[in-house]
This record gives sequence, structure tokens and C-alpha cells, in this order.
Amino acid sequence: MKKKRVILIAGIIVALLLGGCGAQGTDMDEPDKSQGSDKNATVELTFAWWGNQTRNEMTQEVINLFMENNPNVEIDGQFAEWADYWNKLATASAGHTLPDLVQMDYKYLEQYANNKLLLDLTPYIEDGTIDVSNIDENNLNIGRVGEGIYGICLTVAPPALMYNKNLLDDNGITVKDNMTLEEFYDVCREVYEKTGYKTNINYGSEVYLEYLMRANGEVLFEKGRLGASSPASLEPFFEIYELGLDEGWHLEPSAFAERTLGSIEQDPLVYGTSPDNKSWCSFMWGNQLTAMQNAAPEGMDVAIVTYPSPDPVKSNFLKPSQLFSITVDSKNQDESAKFIDFLVNSVECNEIILCERGIQTNTVVGEAIMPKLGEKDQEAIKYVNEVVIPNSSQVNPAPPEGASEVISLLTKLEERVCYREITAEQAAQELFEQGNAIMGSK
Amino acid sequence: MKNRKPMTLRQKLNTESVAGVICTMPFIIGFLMFMVVPMGISLYYSFCNYDILSAPVWTGIDNYVKMFTDDPKFWKSIGVTFYFALVSVPLRLIFALIVAMILVKSSKASAFYRAVYYLPSIIGGSVAVAILWKRMFAADGVINKILAVFGFPADFSWLGSTKTAIWTLIILAIWQFGSSMLIFLSALKQIPSELYEASDVDGANKFKKFFKITLPLLTPTIFFNLVMQMINGFLAFTQCFIITQGKPLDSTLFYTVYTYFQSFKFYNTGYGAALAWVMLLLIGLITLILFATKRFWVYDEGN
Repeated sequence: MKKKRVILIAGIIVALLLGGCGAQGTDMDEPDKSQGSDKNATVELTFAWWGNQTRNEMTQEVINLFMENNPNVEIDGQFAEWADYWNKLATASAGHTLPDLVQMDYKYLEQYANNKLLLDLTPYIEDGTIDVSNIDENNLNIGRVGEGIYGICLTVAPPALMYNKNLLDDNGITVKDNMTLEEFYDVCREVYEKTGYKTNINYGSEVYLEYLMRANGEVLFEKGRLGASSPASLEPFFEIYELGLDEGWHLEPSAFAERTLGSIEQDPLVYGTSPDNKSWCSFMWGNQLTAMQNAAPEGMDVAIVTYPSPDPVKSNFLKPSQLFSITVDSKNQDESAKFIDFLVNSVECNEIILCERGIQTNTVVGEAIMPKLGEKDQEAIKYVNEVVIPNSSQVNPAPPEGASEVISLLTKLEERVCYREITAEQAAQELFEQGNAIMGSK
Repeated sequence: MKNRKPMTLRQKLNTESVAGVICTMPFIIGFLMFMVVPMGISLYYSFCNYDILSAPVWTGIDNYVKMFTDDPKFWKSIGVTFYFALVSVPLRLIFALIVAMILVKSSKASAFYRAVYYLPSIIGGSVAVAILWKRMFAADGVINKILAVFGFPADFSWLGSTKTAIWTLIILAIWQFGSSMLIFLSALKQIPSELYEASDVDGANKFKKFFKITLPLLTPTIFFNLVMQMINGFLAFTQCFIITQGKPLDSTLFYTVYTYFQSFKFYNTGYGAALAWVMLLLIGLITLILFATKRFWVYDEGN
């Protein structure tokens, strides 16, 4: 009797285990079955994006609104932090279990489209499912890879130098748009002398290097190699760190070791214990102004000007900040297309999103939500319309494969220059050689 | 069982070997599906150029060649990992032994203290403690505040200096001495008290007793702890990943974290798989070496 019972229990365990393993498979097939031929049956979609707490809440509201309007559709929203998001997407693509709808970034669009993981949206644009009549041709082409359009760009964002307005006002220091580098250094020196606050030159990022290279008509990344013609094009960027550290106005690199780079809440502009480990400015994106203001301590006013550059028109640009794509793994592509149309064209939907994701490419929607915007969002929009658009040029082409590894190399070199381990010249040489090797190996 | 009449299915299921296999099925299935198969796949990937998104392309031993000839970071991370393991493991064991020696004396409070000192082992590897650690060693963190009380300069950036950053991780590792301590405790209790009584008669002092009786009799336990902790030390991931991310200047770049970066940050997953296999071989080799030295210093009761 005893033995029998043991076997019975073992059998149950095995059955449960096998069931558990199998369940994963059936889960993913479900939307397939539920679609069937019956149009009224519930359609389940998954939608994945990266973001922060504010964005997650807003997006969930948008999803709820869409489900109210389309009772037969159920959307499961899945969000992650930037870095985790791309891990998750990559592993899902290996198993062909990608969500129906994904938020895409300019950096990854080409890679995903070329690996045939995204759906060409052209048919949906042609039959009007996704209405793009209010989107500028340039912004629409951002989603173009080869012959097809693989993502619809919802918003754009400008580079923006955020600064501590009260600090500067109180000390009679002025900054302006389209500063030259010399003018910018003078501000850094003056701020440091008068207040002790230091400067953070885009540490841990490639954006400002790209910005400076654009002034000379160069791009950072080209297919299979770096866009720089020689190490000399890269050197001026590293020299800024050397100059700043020599003169004392750049932050010591140790100030960054304790922070999560890229986190707004930990940015030296708004977070730090003394002027010694704080910065009067931060190289950011315009749509982050509200978030930065929210992260700032009580009584601090954050304002924006352009990044300094010898040639603002050539340097400045609007970056497509968010694209939305449908994956080839989607079983409900029609409904997914409808959701993208809703994101891009619904005023109601964008009244929820506001400018958190950037400035709407759909100009009609952008106008319509204006009255709903907060003070900082309006400031950002004004900045785009009055400062950036008249004085900017087309964004660089999407960086090809290998870019993320080169960016990591670049940030390591920034670190080494700041720790005075190597000179700007050596850093430029190394970035040029190793960067080209990385790009060439892809 | 003399007559070889074929058994019915029911009888077969009732034999002990079959029942045993069925009962261990949950483990066997899990082991095959989540260990053997993924390991096999990763071995295959390690010979490929694989970026997760597109299909793997066979490149032979290219990944391994690149690792040993053209990747300074590989050597750097090996150096960091060895330094971490070789420093933190002996220190942790010494610390565990000292605390175990103190707690082995039975008193009313010792049970309480045993639990308290074991606690770091349970929570020490967690993300929450890692984040706490990062805050403690920040320039404006509690460590500097305490030092300031004693008059030391109080704004040193422990995590920002290449010399001290690794030590914050080592201290965190030493702090998790609890499980080795428990094993030492039980081993200490098994040392026959006659030996100590005999040495008392011979007039041995405390140091003599420790070095001539306690330590030799503990060597098998020390050996066990050393092997286990060494393996753990080489596989340390969370602390580095959360606290330092390899910063500054790769001075804390653990091998496992480097493997993770290659696999999932740069999408060089084939190369990452190769790194993982080299680590497996390395750990195997180190364990082998430890076993080879065993007969020179580990006391074996049988002989």
C-alpha cells in the first residue's frame, strides 16, 4: 500500500512538473486561439516599454483608455528599466516570444529590423489604419530601414543643457543659448570661483562628443567604422576634461563612482552634499526638464539652454526619442496597428502622456494638448520651437551594430582621462583604434 | 524471483529501482532541463559568433583565441577576481573561526549570538544590503561620519578610489562569515575533551592547545570551508554588479560581471558563453589544486 502511494505521489509530481513546463507554451499560443474567425472574441496584446515610475503610470492609463474604447481588446503592459528592457527583448526575440507591441529606440531599430524581428508598417500606413497625415516627412522617415517603415516615431527631444537658475542669478552669472566653448568655459570658471560649484561635462555618455563632431560635419558612427577621419577629431572632447580638471572646475571622477549614471534623481545637478560634488549644469534631453525639476531640491529652479558648440546650427538636432513597432511574433497585428494609431493620433491619449516622452511629432495633437501642459513642459516646447528648430540640422543616421560597445569604451576612456591615467591624446588614439576595430568586427 | 516470469507493468512500477527513479524525477527533469541542456547550448554558443538577435554563426575557437590574445579586460577581470577571492576567503575563514571559538562556550546568550552572527550570511548577498553598502561607503556615508568623530578627514570617496573600492567589496564578503562559522562550531564541539584534559596535565598553555590540538583537528573542516568558499568567491556577482559595476577604472570588475556585460550589454553572447566556460575550467582547476595539497596539511583520522 505504502509503495503504491509513493508512486502515486511521484506520478502527480511528475504530471505537475510536466504541466508546468508545458504551460509556458500554451500561454503564448493563447492569443492565436482566441483570435479565431470570430471578430468579437477578446484579443490579447502585450505591450512593452522602458521608462520610469511616472511613465509607467501614464502608460497604464493610456492602455486603460484604449481598452475602454475597444472592449474586445485586452492589453497587458510590461515595463522595465532601460538596460533590463533590452536584455528582456533580446532574450524574447531568441525564443520568438516578443511582445506584440514594443517601444523601440533609434539605436536598436536597424538591428531589430534587419534581423526581421519587426513588421513593416507600410501596408497599415497605406490603408489608413495608422494615420500619419499630421507627421512631418522627416519624422516619419526616422522609422525607415531600407524599403520599409518599421517604427512610428511618437515624439522627438532636443539636447538641452539644464542649469541651476537661482544659483547663477544670485551670483550675477548669465548663460545664453548657442554659447561657444570659450564662453562656456568662462561660465564654468566664474561659477567655480564664486560658488564652488563644479561642472559635469556629460560624463558617462557619448551625446556631447557626437554634438561636437557634428559641428565639423562628422558623425560618430558609420557602418563598420567610426565616422572620425583621424584621432584628432576626437581629441578636443577629451581635452575639455583635462582643462576642467587642471583648472579645478570639473567634478572629480570619484564623485561619479557612487552614483548611478543616467539616473535623474542622482544627477550632480540636483543631488550631492556640497558644492564640491555638485554641478551647476547637466547635459540632458529637453523632455526630462519636468522630471529634473521634480528631482530638484525645494526652491531650486531648473532652466535650459543649448549645449555649447562652435557651430550650433550644424551641431543641434532633434532626436527621435520614442518609436513604436509591431513585432513579427505578434498574432494580432491589426489590433496592434490600431493601438499605434491611437498613440499617435488621439488627443485624449496624449493629454495623459503630455511631454513626458518628448514633444509630439503629430503637430495637430501637439497643439491640442498645449493648454494641459505644466510650466516646465511649456518651457521645453518653447525651447524647441524658438531655439532648436530655427538653429539645427538633421539628426545623425541611426548608429549601427557595435555602437553600444564603443559607447562603453568611450565612457571608460572618459573615466581614465579624469583619473589622469592617460592624456586626452592617448584617449583619442585608443578610441579611434579600438572603436574602429569593434565596429569593423560586426 | 528464481522463475523468470516477465513482470507486469504494475509489478515493474513497484520495484524499488523504478520507484526510486520516479521519485527523483522532479530533480532529474529539472537538472536536465535547467542545467544540462542550457550548458550544452552554451558550450555550442561559445564556438559561435552569436548576438541573440540573429542566428549563431560557427566560428570555431575564435572566441577563445580572442580571449587569450586580444582582450586586456579578460586578464584584468581575472586579476581582480583572483585578488578578491584570495584575500576575502582566507580572511572570512579566520574571522569565522575566531567567532566560532568565542561562541563555542555554552552560555545562556550564546544561542542568541549564534543566530545574530549568522544573519549576515542570509541577508548579505541580497540586493538590499548591496545598496545599503553603497550608501555606507559613499563620501557622505555613515563610515565617513564615524571616522569624523575620531578626527579623521571625513570626505574620502571609498568607492571612487581604485585602491579602496575593491576593499568595500572584500569587507562585505568577510562580513558574511556565518555559514563557515556554523560549520566550525559543530567541528569544534566534536573535538574530544580528553585531549584538552590530557594537555592540561602536561601543562600546555592556551596557544599550544590551539595550535597542537584544535587547529590540526579542524583541518578537514577548514579544507571543506576553503573549497566551498573559494568557489563562491570566484562566482561573486551581486555585490560588484550593484555596488561598483566594475568602477572605478575596472578595478572591481569581477569576471562574472564582465561575462554579463559581454553577453547582455554588448550582445556578444557567444563570447560571453566562452568566458563562462573558461571560468568553469578555472574553478575546476583551482579545486583540483586544493585537493592535491590536501595530503600535506589536512589531518586524516584514518592514518
